[in-house]
Amino acid sequence: MAKRPREPRESDPQGPDLSRRSFLVSAGSAAAGSVLAGGLAGAATAAEAQESTDGRLAGLVNVRLKINGEQRTVAVEPRTTLLSTLRHRLDPALTGTKEVCDRGNCGACTVLVDGRPVYSCLQLACTLEGSEITTVEGLGSPDDMSDVQQAFCDKDASMCGFCTPGFVVATTACLAKHAAPDDATIRHELSGNLCRCGTYPHIFEAAASAASKSGGRGR
Amino acid sequence: MSPTPKWKPRGEMTLLNTGYARLDGPDKVTGRAVYSHDVRLPRQVYARLVLHSYPRAELTSLDLEPARRIPGVVLVEAQKAAGDELVYLGDDSIVAYVAAETPEAAKDAARAVRAAFRDHYPPMVTREQSLSPGAPSITGRGNTSGARDRGDEAAVDSALEGAAVVVEQVYELPIQHHVCLETHGHVVDYDGESATCYASTQAVSGSVDEFARNLGLPADKVRVLTPVMGGGFGAKFGIGLEGAICCLIAKKLLRPVHLMLDRPQEFQMAGNRSGTWVRMRGGIDAQGRLVGQFAEVDRLGGTGGGAFPLMPYIYACETNAARTRSVHTALDSNRAMRAPGHPQASFAQESFLDELAYAAGLDPVEVRKVNVESDVYRRHLDVVADAIGWDAHPNRTAPGEAGADGWAEGIGFGLATWRAGGRPGCEVEVRITPDGAVTSSCAVQDLGTGSRTLVAAIIAEELGLPLSAVTARIGDSDLPPSVGSGGSVTTGALAPALKVAAHRAREALEQRLVPVLGAEVGDYEWVRGRVRVAGEGDMTMSFGEVCALLGNQPLSVRGEYDGSLDADGSLHGAQAARVRVDTLTGRVEVLDMVATHDQGIPLNRLALTSQINGGMIQALSYGLLEERVLDAEMGWLLSDNLESYKIAGPKEMPRLRVILDEDDGRNLATGMAEAPVIPGHSAIANAIFNACGARLRSLPFTPDRVLAALAERA
Amino acid sequence: MKNFELARPTTLNQAVMALAEGEGAIGGGKGPAALLAGGQDLLTELKEHLAEPDTVIDLGRVPGLDAIERDGAGNLTIGAMVRLHQLEEHGAIREQMPVLAQAATSIASPQIRSVGTVGGNLNQRPRCWYYRNEASVCLKKGGLACLAAVGRNKYNAILGGGPSYIVHPSDLAPALIALDAEVTLVGPEGERRMPLADFYLLPREGGISTETVRRPGEVLTKVHVPAPAAGTRSTYLKFKERESYDWALSSVALVLGMDGARVNRARIVLGGVAPKPWRVESAERLLEDNEIDPRTVAQVREAALFGAQPLAENGYKVPLTKGLITRALESLA
Repeated sequence: MAKRPREPRESDPQGPDLSRRSFLVSAGSAAAGSVLAGGLAGAATAAEAQESTDGRLAGLVNVRLKINGEQRTVAVEPRTTLLSTLRHRLDPALTGTKEVCDRGNCGACTVLVDGRPVYSCLQLACTLEGSEITTVEGLGSPDDMSDVQQAFCDKDASMCGFCTPGFVVATTACLAKHAAPDDATIRHELSGNLCRCGTYPHIFEAAASAASKSGGRGR
Repeated sequence: MSPTPKWKPRGEMTLLNTGYARLDGPDKVTGRAVYSHDVRLPRQVYARLVLHSYPRAELTSLDLEPARRIPGVVLVEAQKAAGDELVYLGDDSIVAYVAAETPEAAKDAARAVRAAFRDHYPPMVTREQSLSPGAPSITGRGNTSGARDRGDEAAVDSALEGAAVVVEQVYELPIQHHVCLETHGHVVDYDGESATCYASTQAVSGSVDEFARNLGLPADKVRVLTPVMGGGFGAKFGIGLEGAICCLIAKKLLRPVHLMLDRPQEFQMAGNRSGTWVRMRGGIDAQGRLVGQFAEVDRLGGTGGGAFPLMPYIYACETNAARTRSVHTALDSNRAMRAPGHPQASFAQESFLDELAYAAGLDPVEVRKVNVESDVYRRHLDVVADAIGWDAHPNRTAPGEAGADGWAEGIGFGLATWRAGGRPGCEVEVRITPDGAVTSSCAVQDLGTGSRTLVAAIIAEELGLPLSAVTARIGDSDLPPSVGSGGSVTTGALAPALKVAAHRAREALEQRLVPVLGAEVGDYEWVRGRVRVAGEGDMTMSFGEVCALLGNQPLSVRGEYDGSLDADGSLHGAQAARVRVDTLTGRVEVLDMVATHDQGIPLNRLALTSQINGGMIQALSYGLLEERVLDAEMGWLLSDNLESYKIAGPKEMPRLRVILDEDDGRNLATGMAEAPVIPGHSAIANAIFNACGARLRSLPFTPDRVLAALAERA
Repeated sequence: MKNFELARPTTLNQAVMALAEGEGAIGGGKGPAALLAGGQDLLTELKEHLAEPDTVIDLGRVPGLDAIERDGAGNLTIGAMVRLHQLEEHGAIREQMPVLAQAATSIASPQIRSVGTVGGNLNQRPRCWYYRNEASVCLKKGGLACLAAVGRNKYNAILGGGPSYIVHPSDLAPALIALDAEVTLVGPEGERRMPLADFYLLPREGGISTETVRRPGEVLTKVHVPAPAAGTRSTYLKFKERESYDWALSSVALVLGMDGARVNRARIVLGGVAPKPWRVESAERLLEDNEIDPRTVAQVREAALFGAQPLAENGYKVPLTKGLITRALESLA
């Protein structure tokens, strides 16, 4: 069915023996030959907050978000994700929530929205008015850590630490849902997060330890 | 000057040789640790690279004007000019770069850059394409390099005439990525006279010159800061073309520039572990001893040379030969990645030896023992074989078969080697103030290995203080210099300097004690925050009281690397894996992995365990999932995100056991970054064969390959 | 992501009109309007510039779409905005329709299931790496050929392919089709209801730039699941290359009406192997009026994969799927 790649050779674009590549690229679409050039993307305009009568939002709009218990008013575009809002739009920025893949594959940007874990890179900030948003900063501070955060320290559950905030939030959500999760439950509830250094076994230990300590309250 | 200090006997250590939590844990678990990605400075601009997406294309036109018209854009510059050829997929694909007031505006501008290409050249991204007759030369220097013949292939073949069994097979490994969760990049804050560079780097001291050169500054006007960093694994030594461009923009704008790769760019240009093609031929005698081995190795490092160690790998074979070379493709160069070349060599060698053992009907553990030179390996093999349950396992000399339910269970093994210890290059300052505050400083970076904690722990051990009583300052090039973190050298290079500085600080304090307590320097004991004359009853003075003797003059001493506290020699190690294979679907589940490595002094048992776990997990991920995927005809990198380039997640984790080597009495300080990452995937492949007779000769062990191997067996 | 206007209708009618206006005569692909439900697929499409709508219509304020209703007979009506985790956690679904609860649990990750919706899952776009790679202009994006067919295709279709070889990525769809579910669509010209099985199109049936029969302006509002008969057993088995978080290399939704050990009614729908959920009626017939014995299992799995036409790199899906069918049948025997 499929053919093997043909033997590579310098093909003359005018010649008779166009490769599949040059054929498809040249004939497929103009965009294929200049992949850099997407449409002239809609630029951020510094227009005043706009809300038309049918509730449409456009340009730069002010939204009120409840983040870590505090009402914050922040200017975003309709396309601005919650992750970008936290890291770039808030002043001062909340940079504990990490951007790693920016497409919902890795869990480093996990925050709680109304108590549930979500990827903040796949949430539009302006759809979250009225929701309770909790970031890793909202769970505790170095001087007043939550049980989950303390357990992560005690069990050596962070190495480079870049995945850690996402895992701390996901673990907190896990313990809010399951008072005494078994190992399989912990793995299931954390399966939307990736670590590269290899801290998983210590994260599992930390989750179990925090559960036994807090009776599942996650704090 | 007192004689060179020595490491205390392990039994007398109160902090070292125990497990203790890392000092930066609280900052990391609460989101307060500030990585380069997180740096926000007044007037900072966000820069972004513009990359083309396939190699060997000629840029025919470039129009930056649409990008310049995007509101918020501050700068748009060309990196390539019309007529330039983009030779390989990687940093050579950078066509232009932009800087803007916000990350969104920078993204918009990058997309607005108009470029046209002539791209009819064959992409040349696979070994087969590069080696095919008449293939064009990618870089103009031919598609192979570094060819080397070692040994006499004919002698190997004559030796094999006396072998009990002979096997010839090809083993293949794909390109692997580092997948640092923090992508490559820096923030450069340059004011025209000096610069502060927030670098995600594995070499704080080593980056100064490169930043200085790119900024046109003397080195003493450049400060590099890396208090934490989100993973390197070998990919973050130089500042990269992204760093050079970041400097260029900073010079032009005189504003802080934040330039980080996005994830697809990270996959396209930020380094990789070279792929490998290996043909092995060799044989063993009736006792399992290797009588001859020939290896033919193609290193696939893109435009780089790739990495591969000498063959035979670990095992001894007197009559051996090898023919090695680099085969180049139009891809970014490989970079160092945890134990460069070794996991590749391990897979070829361990699979090959395993094949020979089963072909001869011998126990593969015994065959390994026969062919290693060091008793340490024999001891390590016994340790992991015992822990994994080899003696009770039914298939020790022949593979098993699936039960009635279609599942089969098996065990496999692999060995590791690395160089022990460090090298000169680290200095440490210990400063003690009269109020009892102790600070230990070194420019060294902490990649997640725990070096920050070590900087405090060795001082605390020496002075009998709790870890919390010592402040560690690291990740700053203004501090005493450090080696870069590569090849597991950091601990071996840093720990001796820390020990020397700690020793000098203690002796300096003891000099103040001579007139007070009467004993000579060296005759004091420092325990639990107090000091006494050695051998006398009660602890006499608190540490604070001792420091008060300094008057109003803080104490500052420096220590440097001392080879007598380090050690030459080798690290060893063995790992075993137990897997189960669903012969109906090709699913491989790793149930259990065990590792033991001779680590010298366990400086921090908790961090050491994390490091060895991490090695096993990366090897498991390499074995089960990871593969860079390209379309050979179009030249596209298809696996350029974390959905299509898969790394192991929570549910892939087996039971993982680290058995620290308590019988390794060597008083040496060594890192443990490389050895544990070497043999895990080999052990898994061997376990799959042991379970069901399916021999996996290429990575990763996905169901397509497992089912094909099962079919081949039948 | 291209910037857009966010429309926030508060009635279904407003949403339909906004979508109809935006989609006009243009179906599928880069329409100027797009529906935002949970956004877990849409945002990836926007970020990768596979969709560049001028207007995104947020369904979050439209009432009446977010409930699971159960009538006295046990029939379910599931609103399109019901979140995936609600299916996992719903008592009646877990007890009476394990196939649906298991399918929901198998999807992506807890974070995705927190916000991903039933409607979004059924309408999501393919994951084929040529489709997702912005540089490649594949058949589904207006190009001349399916680039996977002659390129890298280990994840592509072995059944029902041509001229496009995507696999439909939904896990809910095979489970719901196996439960004989129907869907309601509301559009500018009114409401229509159809079996979910009829909602999906093969490429050769016109499903090139779209995967469904949804017309411009239509919103999928509800899924109707009839109560399974007493004695019904069901399961969803999904093979993920990475068990933690992945799409199906292959999946089997199996719903069996049982009379003791005898099967009196069977539904077998495969996922991950074809451009649409792939129901195998010939295999179902081999099960009906039989017991689940090794001979029947062998016949069923052969029949289910009959006619499979693998590409260069996905032949393994044939034995893998047979193995999965075997495991699914064994689990219900």
